[in-house]
Amino acid sequence: MADLRTNLAGITSPNPFWLASAPPTNSGYQVQRAFEAGWGGAVWKTLGDPILNVSSRYAAVHFNGQRVAGFNNIELITDRPLEVNLKEIYETKKRFPNHAVVASLMVEPNQGAWHEIVKKTEAAGVDGLELNFGCPHGMAERGMGSASGQVPELVMKQTNWAKEAAETPVIVKLTPNITDITATAEAAVQGGADAVSMINTINSLAGVDIDTWLPIPHVGGKGAHGGYCGPAVKPIALNMVSECARNSRINVPISGMGGVSNWQNAIEFMLMGASNVQICTAAMHHGFRIVEDLIDGLSTYLDDRGILSVQDIIGKSVPTFSDWGNLDLNYKVVARINNDVCINCNKCHIACEDTSHQCIDMLNDPSGNAILQVREEDCVGCNLCSIVCPVDGAIDMIQLNHEHPPMTWNERQTLIGSLKDKKVSK
Amino acid sequence: MREHQHYLIEREKIDYFIDRGYRIHGITENLSGAFIEFRLKDNKTDEESTEILHIQTPDGRKYFSALLLKQIQTVS
Amino acid sequence: MSSLESSIQKELQKNFTEVIPSLTNQEAFQESQRCLYCYDAPCITACPTGIDIPTFIKKIASGNMKGSAKTIMTANPVGASCSRVCPTEELCEGACVLNHTTKPILIGNLQRYATDWAIKNDQVLFKQGQPNGKKVAIVGGGPAGLSAARELALLGYDVTIYEAESEAGGLDTYGIVSFRLPKSVSLWEVEQVQNLGVTIKTGVKVGEDIPFDEIYSMHDRVILAIGMASVPNLNIPGEQSSGVYDAIELVKKTKAAPFPTELKDKKVVVVGAGNTAIDGATCSVRLGAENVKILYRRSEQEMTAYDFEYEFAKQDGVEFRWLTQPIEILTNKEGKVEGIKCIRMQLLKAAQGERRRTVPVPDSEFIIECDAVIKAIGQKRHLHFIEELGLAHKEGVILINNETMETSNPKVYACGDVIFGKGQGEAMVVSAAQQGKTAAYHMHESLKESYTA
Repeated sequence: MADLRTNLAGITSPNPFWLASAPPTNSGYQVQRAFEAGWGGAVWKTLGDPILNVSSRYAAVHFNGQRVAGFNNIELITDRPLEVNLKEIYETKKRFPNHAVVASLMVEPNQGAWHEIVKKTEAAGVDGLELNFGCPHGMAERGMGSASGQVPELVMKQTNWAKEAAETPVIVKLTPNITDITATAEAAVQGGADAVSMINTINSLAGVDIDTWLPIPHVGGKGAHGGYCGPAVKPIALNMVSECARNSRINVPISGMGGVSNWQNAIEFMLMGASNVQICTAAMHHGFRIVEDLIDGLSTYLDDRGILSVQDIIGKSVPTFSDWGNLDLNYKVVARINNDVCINCNKCHIACEDTSHQCIDMLNDPSGNAILQVREEDCVGCNLCSIVCPVDGAIDMIQLNHEHPPMTWNERQTLIGSLKDKKVSK
Repeated sequence: MREHQHYLIEREKIDYFIDRGYRIHGITENLSGAFIEFRLKDNKTDEESTEILHIQTPDGRKYFSALLLKQIQTVS
Repeated sequence: MSSLESSIQKELQKNFTEVIPSLTNQEAFQESQRCLYCYDAPCITACPTGIDIPTFIKKIASGNMKGSAKTIMTANPVGASCSRVCPTEELCEGACVLNHTTKPILIGNLQRYATDWAIKNDQVLFKQGQPNGKKVAIVGGGPAGLSAARELALLGYDVTIYEAESEAGGLDTYGIVSFRLPKSVSLWEVEQVQNLGVTIKTGVKVGEDIPFDEIYSMHDRVILAIGMASVPNLNIPGEQSSGVYDAIELVKKTKAAPFPTELKDKKVVVVGAGNTAIDGATCSVRLGAENVKILYRRSEQEMTAYDFEYEFAKQDGVEFRWLTQPIEILTNKEGKVEGIKCIRMQLLKAAQGERRRTVPVPDSEFIIECDAVIKAIGQKRHLHFIEELGLAHKEGVILINNETMETSNPKVYACGDVIFGKGQGEAMVVSAAQQGKTAAYHMHESLKESYTA
């Protein structure tokens, strides 16, 4: 069996699956249950001045009968005194010395406050610290969480303050509620962060009740924006991880999270540069037991490929992720419909006809059977038909031989630019 | 007419000049697509004739880019 | 009613409640999500009334129940009944593309779910059209007649239905067993038509209670949707004895309480192997018969009942005696049935394009003991009435222009079972509904100029 042990900036854990700082890591009872179930690490629900929560805190987005495509919460950080949490952290660490216990921290942007909480927390025996610069609701209104996380100087300064006092690795958790996450990731690195983690939740309003006209969830008739997570945010998170991973100025390990729901998702994040993954929504949906298949699936995947350690996949796909301008304009794929497999639902036809390039014809074969056929010369290789097709193997996207040698947009513009001063007057 | 047909016509026009020894001299791209300036030098008279083609289809614009690459590579 | 009787009635009531449970909200939602929402969907083409099935299913999925019911009922004025009685595996569900991958969408059950919602929620789905001053009489208030009436009412016609029975709905109200189609569903459809201003004169037998000519002269057009008549005689001795029933009459008696009790603990023999025979047999089982046998002079392969009906009967414990031809009903001294004498048959090779014929096996008579005989060998035609009207017909099947439903009298249209047979028409309720629509549209075409001009 492949070695699943991971190391994030010196924090080791038996496997790459950590519970993210969130309701599942609220208490020692929960974290210990998680470790018993097999989780490799846990980031404790954010420590700070104990807050007050409201009742009616979560909402989910269900899509076409699939529950929890997305998840929204307006819960804040821990509502328990620091000493209570630290005592439980100490006990947990004692029971599970090889598991990673990381404390998430959030205090006001003040050097003394950061020094105090870092020292107290480390005294409880944590393996590392995660600075919560991402929580988008409630705490942000008080100048903490994503309010600091959106300002690169504040990220740098606070990271610095934490680092001044810290002896364990400091991870900076970033908010996605920003145009370019690499800006704050870089600021964290400049502030001395040993690692960055992303993404925290995305500002969201889960829905509006169309009968009562109230926001979902509402608290006695009023709602406020929450933080969005779950499967729906995975592509957003994966992009942010990838953007940081391929940025040479962000030269620290990344802990990836945001919609990771299964072992495949975990592999995707790790291939794109995450040293481990953090998970919350999937555990909230199904319980801690999901970790069994996360581990089993990952290890089978590695074994099947003869990969000895999970660390060997970290970042392996990063070089394939680039700017649009570096993509080959002359690479061409076209759709091919396998009429033996096709069930003639005609969804590809109508999708192409109405919303793409009108290149799938509904025809009859010589014996009069309905068939669908792609006019390849008009197919732009958009993939839409194969996306809407409900049957595996009915539509293949086939790569055609290069008609012209590979040429990226950037290369093309350079080429055309080389004819400069020879503008066509028209 | 399908876009592919447009492309085939444009390609034919481009090939027409290339086959007659014209070289791509300049390219201007704007909201209307691309304008290629072809030039052909008469070796005897040293006179240059100029032709301009308006290329609208994306495949046409990829096509002349490939030809331009070839032209530059043959020179160097 | 004694307490014993009322407890028996209660038990029978239970036996006659719908056998297929309606989908729960969650089942319906999940099933509706499974629909691929095909473009140019084959299920629509497979539906004789052309219900836009993907649309009504997507509306269930989106929670637009009224829109869903309306989509169904727009295409098929007896869509609630059809959701229960259509041979869906031969129609919409048989055409579902998911037959090629997993399993077809439960279209019939979803259609029932949507129409049940409309029934339960007392929805008004349609509005009467602007009156156009034209009058149409429809003879017969079954599926075909109701369907024609609904379409004509939407177009603004003044429509009167003449119905011989005490309630309209025809086959749906009286002829289909309650445990498949409760009477209330059919009566809801009748009510929908009435709500559009259609007058339904029940208990009026045209040709007896009111001369056809009177109706003909009072209206601009007449539609005949008179269906078929009672089961023909077996033409064997003993047929008039007590204990011999007409399957259609028997089913009719079970459509409302009080249920007949005379078959309880009896041995019943049903003659015939069509859907009506199955109905007669399964009704007998549910009325408490001790043993029910279906006798058919041909074999399993030739039986005309739908596969699902056959399966259903077998599950109800109905026994089948193939290649068995009754030749005499035997009675006791009181004239009550005590057995049926039969003869074995054998099938001959079929002549080109013909049904296989049977001939008796010599000296193979035998007796089946029974207390009741139910005749279910098809239905007679209203031959006499049709002849009186002077319409072209073939052995009681009114001949029509297949496209327009026009009879030999251009002012008279016909649809439903009255045109079924002799290679014309279809026996299904859903076909009758479509024919009613077709008759209405063509009649409208023919009349339109006279009042829009």
